[in-house]
Amino acid sequence: MNLSNGVSGQNRNDAISSREDTKRLMKPSTPTRKLQPPKPENAITIAVSSRVLFNMEREQQIYERQGMEEYLKYQLEHESEPFSPGPAFSFVKALEAVNSRLRELYPQSEELFDVVLVTNNHAYVGLRLIHTINHHHLLIERFCMTGGNSPIGYLKAYHTNLYLSADSAKVREALQEGIAAATMFTQEKMKEVSDIQLRVAFDGDAVLFSDESERIFKAHGLDKFFEHEKAHENKPLDHGPLKGFLEVLGKLQRKFFHKGLRMDCPIRTYLVTARSAASSGTRALKTLRSWGLEIDEALFLAGAPKGPMLEKIRPHIFFDDQMFHVEGAAELGTVACHVPYGIAQRLADK
Amino acid sequence: MLLSSTNQEEEDDEVASKGGSELFAVRRATFLTIFLFSSVTAVTFRVFFTRLRRQRVDREAEMVSTVANVDVKQKDADHALVVAISCSAVLEDADDGDVHRVGVAFPLLQALQSVNRHLVEANSSESLLFDVLLITTDERRQRQSARIVSSTKHYGLEVSRFCFSDGEDFVESLLENQVQLFLSTEPEEVALVWQRGVPSSLLGHQTWSSPSEQLRVLLCGDDVIAAAAAESAQRFWSQLGAMRRRFGVLGSPVSVAVMTAHGGRRGFADALATLRSCGLNADEAHCLAGAPRGPILELLRPHVLLGGGLR
Repeated sequence: MNLSNGVSGQNRNDAISSREDTKRLMKPSTPTRKLQPPKPENAITIAVSSRVLFNMEREQQIYERQGMEEYLKYQLEHESEPFSPGPAFSFVKALEAVNSRLRELYPQSEELFDVVLVTNNHAYVGLRLIHTINHHHLLIERFCMTGGNSPIGYLKAYHTNLYLSADSAKVREALQEGIAAATMFTQEKMKEVSDIQLRVAFDGDAVLFSDESERIFKAHGLDKFFEHEKAHENKPLDHGPLKGFLEVLGKLQRKFFHKGLRMDCPIRTYLVTARSAASSGTRALKTLRSWGLEIDEALFLAGAPKGPMLEKIRPHIFFDDQMFHVEGAAELGTVACHVPYGIAQRLADK
Repeated sequence: MLLSSTNQEEEDDEVASKGGSELFAVRRATFLTIFLFSSVTAVTFRVFFTRLRRQRVDREAEMVSTVANVDVKQKDADHALVVAISCSAVLEDADDGDVHRVGVAFPLLQALQSVNRHLVEANSSESLLFDVLLITTDERRQRQSARIVSSTKHYGLEVSRFCFSDGEDFVESLLENQVQLFLSTEPEEVALVWQRGVPSSLLGHQTWSSPSEQLRVLLCGDDVIAAAAAESAQRFWSQLGAMRRRFGVLGSPVSVAVMTAHGGRRGFADALATLRSCGLNADEAHCLAGAPRGPILELLRPHVLLGGGLR
C-alpha cells in the first residue's frame, strides 16, 4: 500500500506547512475550559462509535464497495470536512447538558456522564473525527481507536455503562460480556428533541426485564401470556441488559431531586411497553419497585404501535429488542436502537 | 652578562663591588642550574606520561569490540533500522550448560525477525530491515562471548553484530554503530541512552506476554511534540513509518500505537499530526485524558514502549 502522505518525496518545508495546516484545523472554535474528565470508575461511561455519533454513510459505502484502502484515501482527502450529526449526536449533546447542570449543583462530584469515542477505525481517520468534534462543539476528550482490533477489552477498561454502535456483531459481543449495548442505525428522519432535558425511553421485556415472559407469549400466545403474568404478579421479573443503565439514570435523577428539581428534572425516563395496564402491566411496575427503581412515565400500549406515542414523547433515544418496533419508531423520527437480546433474536434469525 | 656587569662596575669602587658581584654570580649560577634541572625533569615526565596515556588508549580500544555474526547476512547500515538490545534481556544466565536461557526480549526478537521475513518475502532486495545488535557491558559476559554467540545460533536468532563494550563507552559504541533504537531491562541504561538522543525503551515482564507474530510499538503521545525537535527521533519515526507502509492496513506484522496519557484531544491531535508529518501513521490511537493506563497497556501489549510519560 502506498498512501501519498508523509514526508517521503516531499521536502521538509512542505512537511512543516502541512503540519501547521492540520494544527490550525485542530484548534477548537470555542474557548476551551479546562474541565478534567472524571475517573472512569466514578463516571457513567457512554461509549459511542464514530458511525453512530456522526453520519458516515458515504464513507461506509466506499468501504463496503471499494475496500479499506479507498476508504482511507477518501477519509484523508476529506479530512477538513466535518461529518454531519449521526443518530447518537443529540443524545450526546443532551448528556453534556445534564453534565453542566450537575457541575453547577455538585462542583466536586465525579458522578457525571463521560462520553468516550470507541471506534474500530484506524488513527488515519482520527484527525477528521477530532476536527468534526471541534466543529460541533462537543466535549469528548477520551478516544479509543482500535485500528481493527476488538473494542470489548477497552469497553471493560473504561467501566462502560452503555455502548452504542452501528455494528450489531460488536453489540452482541458486548451484551454477552454483560455490558449494556444497542445497535443504532442512520435515520433519514430525526425529529427535533429537547436540548435541556435528557429523555430516555425503554421497552420492557428483554430490555429492562429478562425475556422470560416474552418466551411464554411467543410459545403459547397472548392469552397464556396474560394468565401467566397475572398469576405471577408479585414475583419480580429477572433483570434485562438495560436495567443497569436505568439504575444509573435514577441515581443521577435523585441528585437533582435532592436539590429540589423534581418537576423540571433534567433527566426523564419512560417505559413504553406492549404490555397492557389492565393485566400484565402490574407485574412490570411491581418489578421496578422491587428493584428500587423509578420510572417517570409508564406507557402501556396493549399491543398498539409505539411510533405515534414516541413521537409525542420525543425521547433522545429509545431501546427495543424487536426490529419491528425500532423501525416503526424510526419511521416517525424517533431515534430508536436495537438491543439484540433474548428470544426475539432467535426467531428473527430463523 | 656577568662580564658586562663587571665591566660597568670597574670604574666604581673595585674592592667594594668585588664581594657583591661574586654573590650575584652565585645566585645566577644557582638559578640557571635549577632552571636547567626542572626543564629536563619536565621533559622526562611529559615523555613518560604520554607513553602512559597511549597505553591506556590502547587498553580502552581493546575494551570496545564489535564482532560481526558470520552466520547472518549483514544489513546495509545506511538503510536499515538498527536496533540494539542488551544481551541480558535476550539471553539469561544459565547456571551451567553451554546454552543460555531465553530472556524477556525473546518474543520481541522473534517479532523483529517476523517483520524482516515478511519484508524480504515481498521484496528480496529490501534494504529497510531491522538490523539487530546485541550489546553487553557486563565483563563477565564478555568473557563468555563465545557462549553468547553459540546460544544465539542455537535459538536461530538473527543477530548481525555483537558488541562487547566497557561500561563507560557503551553509549559511544551505540552511536558508532548507528543505533536508532535501544532496548534494555535496566532503567539506568535506558535513561542514559535516551539522554544522548537515542530512542530507548525499557523491557520488563510484560514484554514476555507480547505476541511473537506481530511487532507492537507504542509511542507516548505526550512526549511526541518535545521529542520531535531531535533529529534522531524524526529519523526513527520516518523509517518506522516507511517500514509500516510496506504492508497493508490489516494483517501487518508490525503495528504502531500512540497513547496520550494526559491532556485532552488537542494534544492528542497534535501528536498524531506531528507523527504523520514525519511519515508515521499510527494504527491504534488512544487518548486517555487521565484515565488509568494499566488496563489499556495490558490490552495493547507493546514490545517497545517509547516515551517518558509511560514509565
